[in-house]
Amino acid sequence: MTSNASSSSFSDEDEESAGQKPKTGSIDYSPDAIENQLPSIALNTSIDEEKVSVADDHHEPVTEIARGSSREIEPERLISSTGESNLSTETGVWRNSSKVEVDGATSSPCSSGYAGEMGTSSGTASTSGADDIQELRNNSSSVGNDGEVLHSAQWVPGKRHVDEDDTCMSWRERKKHFFVLSHSGKPIFSRYGNEHKLAGFSATLQAIISFVKDGGDRIHLIRAGKHQVVFLVKGPIYLVCISCTEEPYESLRGQLELLYGQMVLILTESVSRYFEKNPKFDMTPLLGGTDAVFSSLFHAFSWNPASFLHAYTCLPLPCATRQAAAAILQDVSDSGVIYSMLMCKYKVVSLVGAQKAPLHPDDMLLLANFVMTSESFSPICLPRYNAMAFLHAYVHYFDDDTYLVLLTSNSDAFFHLKDCRIQIENVLVKSNVLSDIQRSLLEGGMRVENLPLYPSTRYGSLFHNEPSDRSQESLQPGIGGPDGLWHFIYRSMNLDQYVSSKFSSPITTHQHQKRLYRAYQKLYASMHDKETGPHKTQFKRDGNYVLLCWVTTDFELYAAFDPLADKGSAIRICNRVCQWVKDVENEIFLLGGGSTFAW
Amino acid sequence: MASRRRMLLKVIILGDSGVGKTSLMNQYVNRKFSNQYKATIGADFLTKEIQFEDRLFTLQIWDTAGQERFQSLGVAFYRGADCCVLVHDVNVMKSFESLSNWREEFLIQASPSDPENFPFVVLGNKIDVDGGNSRVVSEKKAKAWCASKGNIPYFETSAKEGFNVEAAFECIAKNALKNEPEEEMYIPDTIDVARERQQKSSGCEC
Ligand SMILES: Nc1nc2c(ncn2[C@@H]2O[C@H](COP(=O)(O)OP(=O)(O)O)[C@@H](O)[C@H]2O)c(=O)[nH]1
Ligand SMILES: [Mg+2]
Repeated sequence: MTSNASSSSFSDEDEESAGQKPKTGSIDYSPDAIENQLPSIALNTSIDEEKVSVADDHHEPVTEIARGSSREIEPERLISSTGESNLSTETGVWRNSSKVEVDGATSSPCSSGYAGEMGTSSGTASTSGADDIQELRNNSSSVGNDGEVLHSAQWVPGKRHVDEDDTCMSWRERKKHFFVLSHSGKPIFSRYGNEHKLAGFSATLQAIISFVKDGGDRIHLIRAGKHQVVFLVKGPIYLVCISCTEEPYESLRGQLELLYGQMVLILTESVSRYFEKNPKFDMTPLLGGTDAVFSSLFHAFSWNPASFLHAYTCLPLPCATRQAAAAILQDVSDSGVIYSMLMCKYKVVSLVGAQKAPLHPDDMLLLANFVMTSESFSPICLPRYNAMAFLHAYVHYFDDDTYLVLLTSNSDAFFHLKDCRIQIENVLVKSNVLSDIQRSLLEGGMRVENLPLYPSTRYGSLFHNEPSDRSQESLQPGIGGPDGLWHFIYRSMNLDQYVSSKFSSPITTHQHQKRLYRAYQKLYASMHDKETGPHKTQFKRDGNYVLLCWVTTDFELYAAFDPLADKGSAIRICNRVCQWVKDVENEIFLLGGGSTFAW
Repeated sequence: MASRRRMLLKVIILGDSGVGKTSLMNQYVNRKFSNQYKATIGADFLTKEIQFEDRLFTLQIWDTAGQERFQSLGVAFYRGADCCVLVHDVNVMKSFESLSNWREEFLIQASPSDPENFPFVVLGNKIDVDGGNSRVVSEKKAKAWCASKGNIPYFETSAKEGFNVEAAFECIAKNALKNEPEEEMYIPDTIDVARERQQKSSGCEC
């Protein structure tokens, strides 16, 4: 009965796990090298103290914090190895208490026995989730293209594997499960499988949560071999993630928060009141028809950095184009529209608000997941704006990618908003905004190959690039940027926005991109770890990349380099990236200023 | 439309330890019986799909242990139950006398909105034992108790022989269903921007 997270083979799982593969490659333990060079990076910020922390990949701080105390629950495994034994007898959390046991049901076909009839947990570990294999296959053609555009096209909306339940091997092997259940143990939602068939499993989860809760405590995490079981209790609604993706606990918990937010967006938080009045309240019918919204959210967890950065991103556009869009949105927002947004996929083209409060990036992510139809008018709730009440969203797609969202509090505003939209559309067409958007989708954005040489006296632009503007250092096109720069994400703290470079070689396949995001996600979690952080800088080398992360009060930079990249030049390149972002900020960010929007 | 959807019914089985709760559930769900006694420590969950009047239901059956220990699950265990099954062993008087306590316990913990009419079903189990010769709780006595508690349906069962088990659970499902409250309209508030503004401005004029 030994199970150890690090003992499993990586076999065909490298898509998920190799990015976080521990102990491969070396960690650079020479902090002074960075320390000496970093001040030079600060071209547009002034940082005086730099503390360098070197990432310790071996320790993943996953602690359970309960009533001020901090403890770790680490049972040997959640999934037992024989049909006779079961969850309860083998997990530490139960053994300690010995009061609650989930018993008997292991051999029955309808039982809750997550434990029953299971092979071994290593069986789970060594087989990769079928859905991920599918994704790989779908994406094998994406080489040489902008990956992020392709993902969305290839993602199939809706729930998959609906016929599975906890007795199916395939169900057990899925890498990441999400469950939502009520405080009476009735299933509300499951990412995979049929909620009704999972009723027993759902009851088991409720028993675990309630047992700890009755002890005046809160359960946050159970570790079982490769699996993490993460819990989030939101009043009468319980959310659980079971994952063997090796994502940090903080990330998984953040995803549960977003999952809850997505439900609130659809129903508002007043759904809790119905549970208070009637514990038997069944909210599943209220969620009818929203499977695609949730599958879109789960998809975003693997490819949209907004899901862990809690920032949004803009479609890069020439300054004049964005201004034209903002002007017309501003016109309509004076007529009872609370927020007007012009979006392209999950990227913002322009955003205007009648109110002082800026839209929260999480709300924008959840909203972008929700809107899908060509034209609609529906009640939605923005959890960070007001979790208890509905707004009404008018949505219209101008083409496959570009859509308008007008938010109002007036439920009768459909025809008025439709008129507004027609007005907006006329202006957008006339001023070529829509065609500029399409052009940007195809060729806009920051490419690491184009990272300019500095010092450069010229004011930079991502558009109308003449060949001379291109960096001389982009040696062979097709192997990334200068000095082994492969990719970067820059997040501006006071704008709540990030910009991500376009994927270019060698980060071309979907599994590479997903692995890189997972690596960033892990880096983000460790940089923001409350116990050991926040850190200022991190330099990390493993078999896949050199990762460099730099956090200041103004921005966060995450950069990935060739694993053989030299540290000194990596730092130099980060300098240049920051300068480049600064130079083109008009085109990649929505800047405050003026009367348009109060940031 | 809304009534066509599939429903999930939470059923709780209560009774002294050893009366055959787990056996009844296994007989019903899996058509299996074992003479081996393996105490349930805590809780056990089984689900069964049933069809009734052209509709599909899922019974989520919560088996409990009779020991005081199981109370560690407390309110959470009983919360949102649609039906409660009280089981005694017709060969053990004590188990029959406990029924009142189990019923009380349930009503206190679950605090259903309409306790008078909350659906219970009583099962007198193990009628097969010794050809009925060791029986101490008569059918008459059990029925009288059921009548006194608001006409609780009563079934005599044998988990061992599968006698009356199906019929009993059919009744349980029906009663659970009867208890389903009227569908309430879901109407959260809509943000009233005008009012919010007014409130704000009046609050700020100082
Ligand atoms: N003869 C007979 N034995 C039964 C019957 N039901 C249960 N038993 C036996 O009684 C013992 C206790 O049963 P169990 O279901 O574990 O009781 P629980 O503690 O209420 O869950 C076991 O040894 C069963 O085999 C029955 O209908 N007839
Ligand atoms: Mg039992």
